[in-house]
Amino acid sequence: MRRRWVLPAYSAGVIAYLFLPIGVMVAFGFNDARGHFNVVWHGVTLRWYRHLFDIPDLAMAIRNSLVIAAISTVLATALGTAIALAISRHRFRGRGTANTFIFLPMATPEVVMGASLLSMFVTLNVARGLVTILLAHVMFNISYVVVTVKARTSNFNTEWEDAARDLGAGGWTTFRTVTLPLIFPGVLAAAVLAFALSVDDFVITSFNAGQTVTFPLWVFGASRFGVPPQVNVMGTLLLLVGGAGALTTVALQRRKG
Amino acid sequence: MRRKTPYLLLAPGGAWLAAFYVVPALSMLSVSLQRGSLERGYRFAWRWQTYTEVLGTHHTQFTRSLVYGVFVTALCLAIGYPLAYAIAFRGGRWKNALLFAIILPFFVSFVIRTLSWRFILADQGFVLGPLKSLGLLPHGFHVLGTPAAVIGGLVYNFLPFMVLPLYVSLEKLDHSVLDAAHDLYSNRWSAFRHVTFPLSLPGILAGSLLTFIPAAGDYINASLLGGPNTTMIGNVIQREYLTNTNYPQASALSLILMVAILAMVGLYVRLLGPEELTG
Amino acid sequence: MNDLALTTSITRRELLRLSAVAGAAGLLASCGVSAPKKTRASVAPLPPKTGALSVANWPLYIDADVKTKGHPTVEQFQRETGTAVRYKEAIDDTETFFGTLREPLAAGKPTGWDIAVLSDWILARMIRLDYVEPLHLDAIPNFTANAAAAYKNPSYDPGSAHSIPWQAGITGIAYNPKLTGRAIDSVADLFDPAFRGKVGMFSEMLDSMCLTLLLLGVEPARATQADAKAARDKIAAQRKAGIVRNFYGQEYGDALANGDLALTIAWSGDIFQLQESNPELRFVVPKEGGILWTDTMIIPKGAANIAEAHAWMNFYYRPEIAARVTESVQYVSTVPASRAIILADAEARPAERAALQRLANSDLLYPDDASLARLHRYPGLSEDDEKAWNQMFQEATQG
Repeated sequence: MRRRWVLPAYSAGVIAYLFLPIGVMVAFGFNDARGHFNVVWHGVTLRWYRHLFDIPDLAMAIRNSLVIAAISTVLATALGTAIALAISRHRFRGRGTANTFIFLPMATPEVVMGASLLSMFVTLNVARGLVTILLAHVMFNISYVVVTVKARTSNFNTEWEDAARDLGAGGWTTFRTVTLPLIFPGVLAAAVLAFALSVDDFVITSFNAGQTVTFPLWVFGASRFGVPPQVNVMGTLLLLVGGAGALTTVALQRRKG
Repeated sequence: MRRKTPYLLLAPGGAWLAAFYVVPALSMLSVSLQRGSLERGYRFAWRWQTYTEVLGTHHTQFTRSLVYGVFVTALCLAIGYPLAYAIAFRGGRWKNALLFAIILPFFVSFVIRTLSWRFILADQGFVLGPLKSLGLLPHGFHVLGTPAAVIGGLVYNFLPFMVLPLYVSLEKLDHSVLDAAHDLYSNRWSAFRHVTFPLSLPGILAGSLLTFIPAAGDYINASLLGGPNTTMIGNVIQREYLTNTNYPQASALSLILMVAILAMVGLYVRLLGPEELTG
Repeated sequence: MNDLALTTSITRRELLRLSAVAGAAGLLASCGVSAPKKTRASVAPLPPKTGALSVANWPLYIDADVKTKGHPTVEQFQRETGTAVRYKEAIDDTETFFGTLREPLAAGKPTGWDIAVLSDWILARMIRLDYVEPLHLDAIPNFTANAAAAYKNPSYDPGSAHSIPWQAGITGIAYNPKLTGRAIDSVADLFDPAFRGKVGMFSEMLDSMCLTLLLLGVEPARATQADAKAARDKIAAQRKAGIVRNFYGQEYGDALANGDLALTIAWSGDIFQLQESNPELRFVVPKEGGILWTDTMIIPKGAANIAEAHAWMNFYYRPEIAARVTESVQYVSTVPASRAIILADAEARPAERAALQRLANSDLLYPDDASLARLHRYPGLSEDDEKAWNQMFQEATQG
């Protein structure tokens, strides 16, 4: 009781640490940068905010990244949650194998995996673009989703579900009203992770993007000449949108309980 | 219907992975056993010596990567556990917001995150500069280019991967169980050690896996924050594939890394406890 | 030596490729890649026009207009030729992009690109592998007329039969006089123990190796295996003595700006940019010599729109178009006449006069004859040499 402030203070510290480089990024979005490089501080300006969309291809790259991330998150979360449920709650032949090999995609170096995927797409005459990026992102996200959801579904207590079934609920209804709410934090955490991984993916996307340009690809290529401050501004705005989303959940919680 | 459920649940994800992971992975295996070069052509030859050759040449980087991976996981666990605990038990209605906050830095490209760290850790930057002027640090001291910078970068990038599963597992704990534990044990630390901690093992396992596995194969942090002596196996594979176009060697290295990681993961799972605990 | 590759016929290759995805056993069967062929510039007539063009380039490597949010030169090209252009900033790394080209080209399929801008050091390999369409130089008269002699007929692409430079750059030494305490003019300064821990070298093998070879008095295009070994030993010694702080990729710029480095191998265009915020920085072509490199336009094999690709190349060698691009990109232009046009623009646009004059008068972007005379091109290494050099360099630089 005496030291209730320790944990919150510690948490604030860690979160501050997590946002330290982000703070630098936000700050340099206001930098009166000279030349193409944005590394030395020259003073505050809002001109990058005014000229946010001056760079023709940056906005398109961000849009591509967000669309891909949204779709691949939904798919990967659905597929991965199903696998996690299967492994955690059922005993079946091949369970051990599935449990072991589900880690493999996470352990596979991206450069070789990306190239092998590309090789397969080329052989099958699949045009590279948004679709192939999606296929790849869902693929590597499934493992991450499975591992995260399993943290929630392991030692699953089936008595709630049994109770629902005794009361006459069918399989899907049981899932929707009993199972899903119970595992929801795990599913949400997995979805958030998958989204972040997709938005940030570089190597596998490089190989399988065809003529589509995503945000990390563009920024990495631009870093050869100097990342323009508009990138910092876009990053800041993305954060603000994400932050607004987070605060909305707080408001929603308040209304619920 | 009951008996078929697990297979039905596995099928869609399994099919996806079969098509877009297993097939390319098998092709990677095939390439690793080929001989030849980019310009002279490749021929499948069951060439197992490639494996021993690359292991011989790059065992230092292998070991280094696995060691870094263990360090990073341990640090992430130490730093992340209290944070996950705090969010789960003290978060209240801010829980989801805090989780979002933890993952938000990821929405900015890794290039920007790492470049920002280079700015922060610069020799004469706003952190080291003042410390040096005050005489607290020797003038030639530098962080960038050292293993510390690489591990620091890895910890930074993988902390959310540790915190999220930990939180997920801690949040599940029934408060009545915790209250009972507090009643049973004389102090909070014992309660934690004997009740909370073991019950959070699934989260610890998941977080460790999500941290160790990608960290061991990482190349970005070593590339942008490290120096000539911090090369990780991810850098080697990148280099062998892209710069040297040694496709069989790069594939062999990848497969060795995957097997090594799987072995270490298997060991770790066994260490943590029986399957009932860890799922 | 090439027996195994030469006996592979097309039918067998196709069959093996298909069975590679049929199942595990079939998967382990290999695919062969046919042996490389030599090609020269084409004298055949251009294929018919198709009205479309796909261009792959690096981000920020073309002019951009803040008002229209587009690329004016691309739009002008589209209007004048009636071509629908897909201009994509899809290249972020030469080696990775080569990987994306290699997979379809090795299978004999088109890449989807008509023009790609690749670093010149990879051209020797691309040409040997027959991944590049030969050019119809009579369809690109502006190149012959307007390009500086230094950019024609490089050793790795005789007669410029396959590649036309997009922009060029100079590899030399950049330094901060406040940190070095003196002027720098020699590659030997990079190896000077007085600068221990403050020297930057490139992780890019060719830049680092070629500068070291020049220090040893060797012309890179005529370097032998023994010369390369000597360069390797010099670099290894430099690393062991702790002189070099790191082998940098493109992030050396902020290390130099931050004061982490006193002197480093550098590209002139980067230093031109950095001087706007760090005017104390200097760039010099060392007295032993520097490197002149280009990012070049090539037409990948099997491109669908070859006539339009030639039209594009020809278009960008008009002096006024080249000037427009250089004004935005601020790297070395391959068209000397663009300089006069930029100076004229400086007079015509008073708001940008200072910036444009600085551009046109900079010897980092328009090197004088004395510097040009000291600049060398990359050697066109054979596959074995390239592997050997890479191996040596990696041994010397990575722990």
